[in-house]
Amino acid sequence: MQATFIKPVLAVYVALFLVFLYGPFLVLAILSFQTGPNGGPQFPIIEWSTYWYRDIFGLTPPSRIAPLPIRDSLMRSLLLAMMTMVVSTVLGVMSAQAFRTRFKGSGVIFYLIVLGMMVPGVLVGLGLALVANILGIDRTWWGTAFVLHVVYTFPFAFLVMLAIFNRFDASVEEASWSLGVSPIRTFQKVTFPLIFPGVLSAMLFAFTLSYDEFSRTLFSSGPDLTLPLAIYGTFSIEIHPNIFAFGVLTTLFSFALLAVYAILMTLSVRRARRIAIQEES
Amino acid sequence: MTVLLHAAIDKSSLPVAGKRGLNRVAYWLIAPGVLWMTLFLVVPILMIVYVSFWTQTTFKIEPILTTRSWAAFFASDTYIGALWTTVRIWLIVLFTTLLVGYPTALFVGLFVKNKTLSTALLVLCVIPFWTSFLIRVLAWRPMLGKEGAINIILQMLHITSAPIDALLFTELSVIIGMTQIYCVFMVGPIAFMLGRIDPNVIEAARDLGASFGRIFRTIILPLSMPGVIVGSIFVSVMVLGEFATASALSGRKVNMLGNIIVTQVGSLKWAFASVVGVILTILMGIVIAALLRIVDLKREL
Amino acid sequence: MVTGVLHIAGLTKRYATTLALDNINLDIPGNCYVSLLGASGSGKTSLLRIIAGFEQPDAGAIVFAGRQMVGTPAFSRGIGFVFQNFALFPHLSVYSNVAFGLDNRAEGAPLGASEMRDRVRAVIDLVGLAGLESRGVHQISGGQRQRVALARTLVTEPRLVLLDEPLGALDANLRMRMRGELRRIRSRLGVTFLHVTGSEAEALAMGDRVVVLDRGRVGQFDSPEVVFNQPASPRVAKSLNCYNLFRGKIDAGEFITEDHRFRLGGSRTSSADPSYAIRQDMIAIREGEAANEPDEESISARYLASEYTGSAFMYFFQLHSGSIVEVENHLSHRAMQNLDVNADYTLTWKTESALVFG
Repeated sequence: MQATFIKPVLAVYVALFLVFLYGPFLVLAILSFQTGPNGGPQFPIIEWSTYWYRDIFGLTPPSRIAPLPIRDSLMRSLLLAMMTMVVSTVLGVMSAQAFRTRFKGSGVIFYLIVLGMMVPGVLVGLGLALVANILGIDRTWWGTAFVLHVVYTFPFAFLVMLAIFNRFDASVEEASWSLGVSPIRTFQKVTFPLIFPGVLSAMLFAFTLSYDEFSRTLFSSGPDLTLPLAIYGTFSIEIHPNIFAFGVLTTLFSFALLAVYAILMTLSVRRARRIAIQEES
Repeated sequence: MTVLLHAAIDKSSLPVAGKRGLNRVAYWLIAPGVLWMTLFLVVPILMIVYVSFWTQTTFKIEPILTTRSWAAFFASDTYIGALWTTVRIWLIVLFTTLLVGYPTALFVGLFVKNKTLSTALLVLCVIPFWTSFLIRVLAWRPMLGKEGAINIILQMLHITSAPIDALLFTELSVIIGMTQIYCVFMVGPIAFMLGRIDPNVIEAARDLGASFGRIFRTIILPLSMPGVIVGSIFVSVMVLGEFATASALSGRKVNMLGNIIVTQVGSLKWAFASVVGVILTILMGIVIAALLRIVDLKREL
Repeated sequence: MVTGVLHIAGLTKRYATTLALDNINLDIPGNCYVSLLGASGSGKTSLLRIIAGFEQPDAGAIVFAGRQMVGTPAFSRGIGFVFQNFALFPHLSVYSNVAFGLDNRAEGAPLGASEMRDRVRAVIDLVGLAGLESRGVHQISGGQRQRVALARTLVTEPRLVLLDEPLGALDANLRMRMRGELRRIRSRLGVTFLHVTGSEAEALAMGDRVVVLDRGRVGQFDSPEVVFNQPASPRVAKSLNCYNLFRGKIDAGEFITEDHRFRLGGSRTSSADPSYAIRQDMIAIREGEAANEPDEESISARYLASEYTGSAFMYFFQLHSGSIVEVENHLSHRAMQNLDVNADYTLTWKTESALVFG
């Protein structure tokens, strides 16, 4: 049967695909252990060393190679990501809660929100720069860039919360009302504790998206750079293995966030399963 | 008591206050989000259209309406060239991501029976999305150069005797980089749609003697189309708005519309940048509308 | 003179094109166990949810304890609700679930800590959950979850408690026991229970009064004996699942069906849908072509199959026209009969036992 050929062929293909997907990063990781400060960003590895990792943390003597402009931009990126995470999650939860009832204009508003994640950064960045110019507002990472970060991450938080509410059994809320508890207090004491793992995952999602955000921020951050912008700045000048070391560290950071997200999702699934079990006596 | 009852019945023909009250809460909840998106998304985009008609002097820009910037765009070979480059790269990358991603989605969504294994594979394919975009662009530099990893491996395996020059700082490098970066957006939706195909349907077709080619053409491909369209929309939006990959991997040689906007903004040529912005928006609108025509997404999903 | 606790007038509810509730009028008395019997699609759950305030009617009025309910939000109504799937708060313990209403209610004076503890403890004892206060809701059995749901509502001392198929999620044994428990608890507290069920046995066993709901309308509202013995219409009789119904027409003192002409003698109720009803346990099975007594009706039927339900046998017969007739032999009244499949028998009943509608 033809199908018996196809599965192993596809399996080999997928293995190659994964090599294609991860290959460049692995090469990057290997090269990050290049010796320094004279080792270049290409093969062969002259000598294995952790020089460039130490260089990032400022633990190496000054050389002709400028250290990566990390410290300030890292702080800005983290702070910006936190602010974005809080605002977009609050907006996401409120909007998803609104969408639990049918209201006039909900179709249009849904597309308006989702538009935020579809429009490319160049366009919305250009537009906001124009608006800021005309209104005489300075472009700042905590003002204009922040605003665009929320525009970008709010739809993601919104969709995550929509999915959470979709699986949420409203009868616990009705039960609370029937006991004389007001809707606001019901949300506080019943709904929110139950959707909290979902809220956390939306927050994490928003944080990661903001932390890595580049194209929108390019137009709107003003003179003080966020981390991705600072890194991009070094692209056009010479590339050194310190940027590879940085790439490995930042990727590990992303993986760590991903792991936390996975744990949270497992917890919320397990809790949802317990609720489901409660229904079968 | 009876008076109360009669009074109640008289009022009963009015729409119920309770229902109205619930909707009012919804409007208050949705208002901040709508306000934010209107102010910081809709207004900026409208601004781009408006400013594209402004008069641009060397250092200033004035709200006197003119079509001069528009004329300048269409009169210039460089800029028309950038438009065609954008369209060309978009089409090629769309094709390559589909070609590269579909078999993977096929394997993960259809051939892997074990649920945990297919989820694990899907996660493996999707994780790169969570890493920094810039790092992923950067990672191609040491791969593609004359002394890059690919050339070294090819020479080690004696497939080539001299390093291939065209791997870096060409349009080819841009396409390779973009394919790798964006193919994940194809794999996800397609694998999802394929996973929803009832295996009994395929089993039945096989029992009736259909070859795999036939099954693929008549069952698998049509049923996966919504996933293909969704993936295509994601990839298209991202590729059309691209500038970083193009710039980093081609050494500023490849100019897409996104690159033009960046350079024009750098020289404070706002009106001209806006013209390019509007053209990009129109292009994206056409592409998405065309893709949505192929499959009625609402019905399929 | 209206003396009950819940008055429903002209209640109507439409979902898209279907009319779920059609001009419902009901007066529910205080301190009473009321069963609401209806098949799925009869509108019984809609009615309950509208009374509770989870949904709004399209027209009509609800007055409870002297207050208008339509226009009042659910949390202000003071009407308790026990859900079919219990809807316990999964993140709270048994004690916290029961105390939740008292702890968080919007109206009413806040209670002192010791008074609240006493009231919660009292209700936990009343429903038989003593000792389980600190357990999580997923650590107790289905029957215990049922009691938590009940206790949680009762502690807020509502004058009306709505129960949406509360025994549906329990196994048969537990269901039987809970029937008695629910009646005991209700009479202790002196409140009204409005208990929705699709099971006619449950409705008749539990209610002091029974409301039969059929396709959005009230078919009958009376004591269980009256409903069981004198259903008000063919549709109510059908809902009870213990009547054989024949359609036909009335002519010259006889009820004429496809198979037979029956003499009129029993009760006669006017109806737009002429039907002849004879209860399944009022039919006797006789061998062959037995002659009938002068006060009996008889009809020939072919025996198909039987079903043993423990306390009774159900025998299935088929008439010439193809209609199925069910005969119930309760084993306390009649012995089991050995019948030959596909053989013809004569079914007889007292003429006056039949109910004629038309």
